[in-house]
Amino acid sequence: MRDSVQSMDAAANRSARPQRPQSRLRRLTGQFQQLAVTRAVLSQRQLYEVLVDFWTNHFNVFLGKGQVRYLAPDYIERVIRPHALGRFEDLLVATAQSPAMLFYLDNAQSVAQGSEPPRLAQMEQRLRRMQTTRGNRMGTQGDRIRQAELRLEQTRARLPQGLNENYARELLELHTLGVDGGYTQEDVINVARVLTGWSANRPGQRGARFVFNTWAHDTDEKIVLGQKFALGGMEEGMELLRMLSRHPSTMRYISRKLCVRLVSDDPPDGCVAAGARAWEASGGDIREVLRAIITSPEFWNPELRGTKTKTPLEFVVSAVRAIDAEPDKTPGLARLVARLGQPLLMHQAPNGYPETQQSWVNAGALLNRLNTALGFAAGRVPGAKIDLTRVVALSDDLDEMLAGVNAAILNGTASANTLRVMRQQAELTSDRRQARAVLIGYAIGSPEFQRQ
Amino acid sequence: MTDRSIDRRVFVKAGGLALVSLGIDPIFLTRAAYAVRRPDGPANARKTLICVFQRGAVDGLNMIVPHGDPSYYQDRPGIAIGRPGKPDGALDLDGYFGLHPSLAPLLPYYRDGSLAIVHAVGSPYPSRSHFDAQGYMESGTPGVKSTPDGWLNRYMAHARDHEDTPFRSVAMGSQLPHALRGSSTALAIDNLQTFGIRTRPNTQDRVASAFEELYRGSASGLVASSAEEGFEAIRMLKAANPSAFEPENGARYPTSAFGRQMRQLAQLVKARIGLEIGFADVGGWDTHVNQGASQGQLAGRLRDFGGTIAAFAQDLGPRMADVVVLTMSEFGRTVSENGNRGTDHGRATAMLVLGGNANGGKVHGHWPTLAPEKREYGRDLAVTTDFRDLFGEVLVGHLGSAELSAVFPGYKSDPSRWVGAMRR
Repeated sequence: MRDSVQSMDAAANRSARPQRPQSRLRRLTGQFQQLAVTRAVLSQRQLYEVLVDFWTNHFNVFLGKGQVRYLAPDYIERVIRPHALGRFEDLLVATAQSPAMLFYLDNAQSVAQGSEPPRLAQMEQRLRRMQTTRGNRMGTQGDRIRQAELRLEQTRARLPQGLNENYARELLELHTLGVDGGYTQEDVINVARVLTGWSANRPGQRGARFVFNTWAHDTDEKIVLGQKFALGGMEEGMELLRMLSRHPSTMRYISRKLCVRLVSDDPPDGCVAAGARAWEASGGDIREVLRAIITSPEFWNPELRGTKTKTPLEFVVSAVRAIDAEPDKTPGLARLVARLGQPLLMHQAPNGYPETQQSWVNAGALLNRLNTALGFAAGRVPGAKIDLTRVVALSDDLDEMLAGVNAAILNGTASANTLRVMRQQAELTSDRRQARAVLIGYAIGSPEFQRQ
Repeated sequence: MTDRSIDRRVFVKAGGLALVSLGIDPIFLTRAAYAVRRPDGPANARKTLICVFQRGAVDGLNMIVPHGDPSYYQDRPGIAIGRPGKPDGALDLDGYFGLHPSLAPLLPYYRDGSLAIVHAVGSPYPSRSHFDAQGYMESGTPGVKSTPDGWLNRYMAHARDHEDTPFRSVAMGSQLPHALRGSSTALAIDNLQTFGIRTRPNTQDRVASAFEELYRGSASGLVASSAEEGFEAIRMLKAANPSAFEPENGARYPTSAFGRQMRQLAQLVKARIGLEIGFADVGGWDTHVNQGASQGQLAGRLRDFGGTIAAFAQDLGPRMADVVVLTMSEFGRTVSENGNRGTDHGRATAMLVLGGNANGGKVHGHWPTLAPEKREYGRDLAVTTDFRDLFGEVLVGHLGSAELSAVFPGYKSDPSRWVGAMRR
């Protein structure tokens, strides 16, 4: 595991060298995505990895947007992973201050109307001094003045010149309250004003850091959800994020989203309310919220068992785990997840990938999964070393292998019809090795295996 | 490449639904129900509607430029498209509106009367969330979020004179868009060429039927019905082989994702396997920062958009008499440019209707003007045409749908509100 992280860092360092930026970037992206799949496969802490995936998706950023590609590794390692099972408020603040999010949703560019950075004033001053210096305005001095004027104009043109609501809106709609959380367009604007000045220093391939630009902050009073914000400075934003983390709409909205992930596409109210209650009691401790959901009777309701369909990531990861294959350092598995419809960290819109089967199940997507299942069985899935002996030993007794495959891959849940079709197809060959591959291919391609 | 393979088969209509062919797998015959080659069938059986969703809210004011409106230039000092005749200026349409110069490939279609434009169209429900607004536009029920199915799917469920085939509605991509979700069959296809079971050619049929048995007996709900559609689609594609159709009439599609999507939809039209609704997505319109003017970010997206749609129309040539392309976007953008030389989420935008009996060569709709007092919330182009009125007019005018009350539940459709985008 540590190897993968190091090789990713190495790739990041390599990408600082000035050669063929496109192919280096592609390589970095591929390794970075593969790292997510590899961790999901190998981690002993499966629930933790599920939550890492959940929050990565909840606080979605898009690798395709400008500098976000360079900032995303830091985002995953220092923002999402350390807080995935911590307090929601800490996670929220960490995302709000992350350069990846600040650039992805443009808050880095949001400044109070009419504000200007001090360096612009300095440039202006210098220009005025040059202009008032006595001497020949023609010749070199004149050229220097004209250049300085041009530079000033260009700098000003590049500077952000007002409020940008993009992050403020998604903060309320997607990250905290939910779209029905009871806020107005006026609230969105005022949240944007509270967060003016939250920015990052110039991003580059070596990363960026959060900065609070006092000059860019709107110092007038704002009202968000009926609460007054007039502290001034960065503390206003911290106060706002605290308020949002403790808002009943946030508790309910995120508890429900967790239930959609863990219980059912349309979760019953009981587990949602249990999660929200635990949130309130624990001050937003994600562990406690999870504990409440997982110990709720709804989570264990047999009628809701197996009603969720795997996402492409879950399908690939569970298949690799089921056959005990070993991920390698190529981006093969990540590319496979992408081909199945879920290129990691490449969801352009801030809502992240959907959690429900309506979005993942359709004829084309299913056929792609069947082909992938056959690929696993044939041992030709790039990105993983496959040894089917680790699933079940070769045997002359077909039923023994059938039972072994059912146990290893389907947890013994294969229906009579599935067992019959698997056996029928395996009988067509007299080669034991091939028969085993057939059994495994149909098992991974079976409807039972598509269930979460 | 012209129509082939289908011609070699003999089709017999039986009971209006089944067909008999020679040379196709016998299991197929008992289940097949599609509308290949039915010039004698209901008129709409040959019609196709292609919907193009510009996700991210396209700036309708820079796509279809109101160069005759004085506020346009006042409020967009850094990003306005110049007046017609100026270098890189708008391409004049009617003395008041003009096309973004990147849309030059569409100008001939406007001039020959096959491209109609509707301006100031949008949702009556003023959401500024992309996801809500896309959801409303795709469900066809603005303001109601719980609608699980889409307007195009409800159209299919109620227009029964067009026969269902797995290819009746196809979205290019790996996910089915909300507009196509529902009880009627709908297919999402990434790539026509690789669609199907990919094993050695001599085992493909056997493996496919084994999986089919597996899913028929062991799956339920959406997984079961999707699988069934998939296996039927494999058989149909094998017979019709749409990938063999090359672009015609010198059409050259941009090498973009959108270009590939539209090229494949054209192949499906040519293959005549019953495509009635095609759906393509084109993104990158959320231009909050550095939107650009006649060059730049938006210009690049529009070049792909316009170039692809023009290539599609050129490729299909005379077939465009039976095909309409309808473009849409969840909302427009603010009249004024923001502090980052971009635009923020607004209200109304512009939509295009190309082909069929589109009432082209005109910019339709009621232009509210950009005068500050006419704007919604003082900042946005006001919505004067409900998108349901435009979609409804296109459904009736092109596909002959009469049950708009089922397609847009809770909305009383009234042809007197239609803007006249279709010739009657």
